[in-house]
Amino acid sequence: MDNPNPDNRGEFFDQFLDDYYAECDEHLISIRRSLVTLEDEVDAGTLDRTVLDNLFRSFHTLKGISGMVGLSAAEQLAHHLESYLRELREGTVLLSESGFEALSAGVSLLEGVINARRNDQPIPTIDETVARLQAIASESSPSKVETTPRPETSQSDATATQWLVEFTPTAELAERGVNVNSVRSRLQELGELIQAKPVVKGAGEIAFEFIVATNADKTDLEADGLTFKPAPVESAPRAKEIQSVATIAPASVIRVDLERLDELMRIIGELVISRTRLEDQLTELKRVTPPALWRSLQETSLSMGRQLRALRESVMRVRLVQIGEIFERMTFVVRDLARESGKKIIVQLSGGETEIDKFLVERMMDPLMHLVRNAVSHGLETVAEREAQGKRSEGLLSLSATTAGEMIVIRIADDGRGIDRNLVLDRARARGISHDNTDIDDAALLDLIATPGFSTRDEADRESGRGVGMDVVKKATQELGGRIALATKLGEGTTFTIELPLTLAIAEALIVSVDGQRFAVPQSGVREVFEVESASTKVLENNEIISYRGKVLPLLRLARVFELNHERGEKFHVLVIGEETNAVGLAVDRIIGQREIVVRAIKDPIAQSKGIAGATELGDQRVVLILDIGALREFAMHARH
Amino acid sequence: MPDEIKTNNILVVDDSPTMRRMVITSLGSLRKVKSTQAGSGLEAIERLAIEPVDLMVLDLNMPDMHGMEVIDFVRKHQAYRNIPIVVLTTKGEESSRTQALAAGANRYLTKPFDPRQLADVVGSLLNAS
Repeated sequence: MDNPNPDNRGEFFDQFLDDYYAECDEHLISIRRSLVTLEDEVDAGTLDRTVLDNLFRSFHTLKGISGMVGLSAAEQLAHHLESYLRELREGTVLLSESGFEALSAGVSLLEGVINARRNDQPIPTIDETVARLQAIASESSPSKVETTPRPETSQSDATATQWLVEFTPTAELAERGVNVNSVRSRLQELGELIQAKPVVKGAGEIAFEFIVATNADKTDLEADGLTFKPAPVESAPRAKEIQSVATIAPASVIRVDLERLDELMRIIGELVISRTRLEDQLTELKRVTPPALWRSLQETSLSMGRQLRALRESVMRVRLVQIGEIFERMTFVVRDLARESGKKIIVQLSGGETEIDKFLVERMMDPLMHLVRNAVSHGLETVAEREAQGKRSEGLLSLSATTAGEMIVIRIADDGRGIDRNLVLDRARARGISHDNTDIDDAALLDLIATPGFSTRDEADRESGRGVGMDVVKKATQELGGRIALATKLGEGTTFTIELPLTLAIAEALIVSVDGQRFAVPQSGVREVFEVESASTKVLENNEIISYRGKVLPLLRLARVFELNHERGEKFHVLVIGEETNAVGLAVDRIIGQREIVVRAIKDPIAQSKGIAGATELGDQRVVLILDIGALREFAMHARH
Repeated sequence: MPDEIKTNNILVVDDSPTMRRMVITSLGSLRKVKSTQAGSGLEAIERLAIEPVDLMVLDLNMPDMHGMEVIDFVRKHQAYRNIPIVVLTTKGEESSRTQALAAGANRYLTKPFDPRQLADVVGSLLNAS
């Protein structure tokens, strides 16, 4: 066992920091969720017992594990939060508005303390918040407060029968995944679980007795060593509620370090390259191999290709997480901001089950949060403003996610005031950001507000976020191979649409050539490919254009970007990149084919170059550069001005 | 060949997976020891039914079956009565120390714990039994 010196406690427990942060995240999410429920019960006189129990337990656990890793600020905060929860649970204090606010503040600070440690930043001071928590915990309540047990499920109506279910665990059943937890959750699905307790039977064997109230038919229930009989009425002590165990991960779920998955992906990448090499070698063998033998070799190689793809997809799926978790965190931020600003906001979530690569989520977390903050602080109006305009008093913020092919599309939309183009243009001029156009479209507007330095000097903006970070949002999206688009209408609202690739490590790409050099173009960024007669291009104000679907498409010659010679052939190929309104045609000599490529970042700054996103290796061991579609599109836009 | 020393199976019961890992790693310094884990009181008792357990390291504050109930259950039944129990719980519930020891816990340690001390306590209980 790799066991560092246990004498040195600090170092010894450092090895668990990643587990610690992961578990903190889980508890903080569950805490935030409980707070949302609790907020509706402020001053209500009755509190949901299950919610209180879950909160209490989360604080208790955070206290314990924070103490272990020596993060005493978190340990103390969790301790005081836990103490307040104990008072609430025992009904000695009433959950007041100020109590709830202290609780929220305590949770935010706890999160801040944990994140500060995670990011090696100074730990915030906790004294003031602790004092606040102590003060509210000692407020005495006028009368005892009732806490209500978990709301009864719909199945637990008068017609439900109570069954006494006995489960005898064995090693064989456990092997098959049938255990006390799985049985309990199955019973919870059937109806209301009233009791769960261990008993010892005659021969000393252990069994579990559950009492469940359900309308389900007994014959549907018997399986896996369970026996059912009607429960004796007196043995149903309803008072003793079974507490929810939602915080326990099922035993069949494991936590894996993302680095290990990266390693797996890297190995698969190597395999993909080896197979491409094998394919090339097979082509060379064709001339000298008997046809029957060659065909069977070819078939083996093809089926290996399919299996490899299946393997890659399986590993990729392991890396996927549901975006709903991120949406939920955003909801908390929105609630906090709304409370501070006195705005009323309805958050609409959809597509939370959409899955996205864990790495992408981590990288997009802050940019997405920026957009949400912007929408709440700037986009949505106050209740008075909205009513004056005849809008409903609650502002609408919708967060949605969908998948489209190899891309995931995230939309953040508000029905607020929209972005005022004239203000943006005025400000751009005042900031010395040259822009001569007075009638700009949404794409140009986005370019402007995402210009570094666009509004960072404005004090009010710095506080609330608009402008600040828009350049960061755009940059992060593009670095991940994604795109961002803006649609806004004055008085009606703003929508940001972010498209991201599902995963990064391996991508489908078109291999193109220019001046004999090959380049890989990620297929997710290409909308269309077509062939063009050299004679059909026109030159307009120094820009080469062609007509495309009844519109004018500016051409960007890859040869010009990288200072290569392009072949003066009769025909060339055009790859359409960018959105509908600002599409650019990327001109290349030839399309060589479509390949699965393994994306490698270029880390050496000397080799980094604008327009290049990374490098890949094809079967012949020659390195091929991967084009950065976002940067090329920008290149084309600037070339136009 | 010298006498084969029996491998002791230690059941680590805690609802926090991080805490379980910390405990198990701390016990890694002991010889001839393996660990099993459980995330709740009910799961702990299920482990007892499935495999022989030589010692339990038990948290108290857990969902669905409190550690105290686990101690009561274990001490009440002939087959498990002699399993040494080390309670390992978060500091600050001093009244539970007396209760746990009265119910039959062999030792009572608090978190944050010292990995060496935990290993020593567990090691000496295993040697004694």
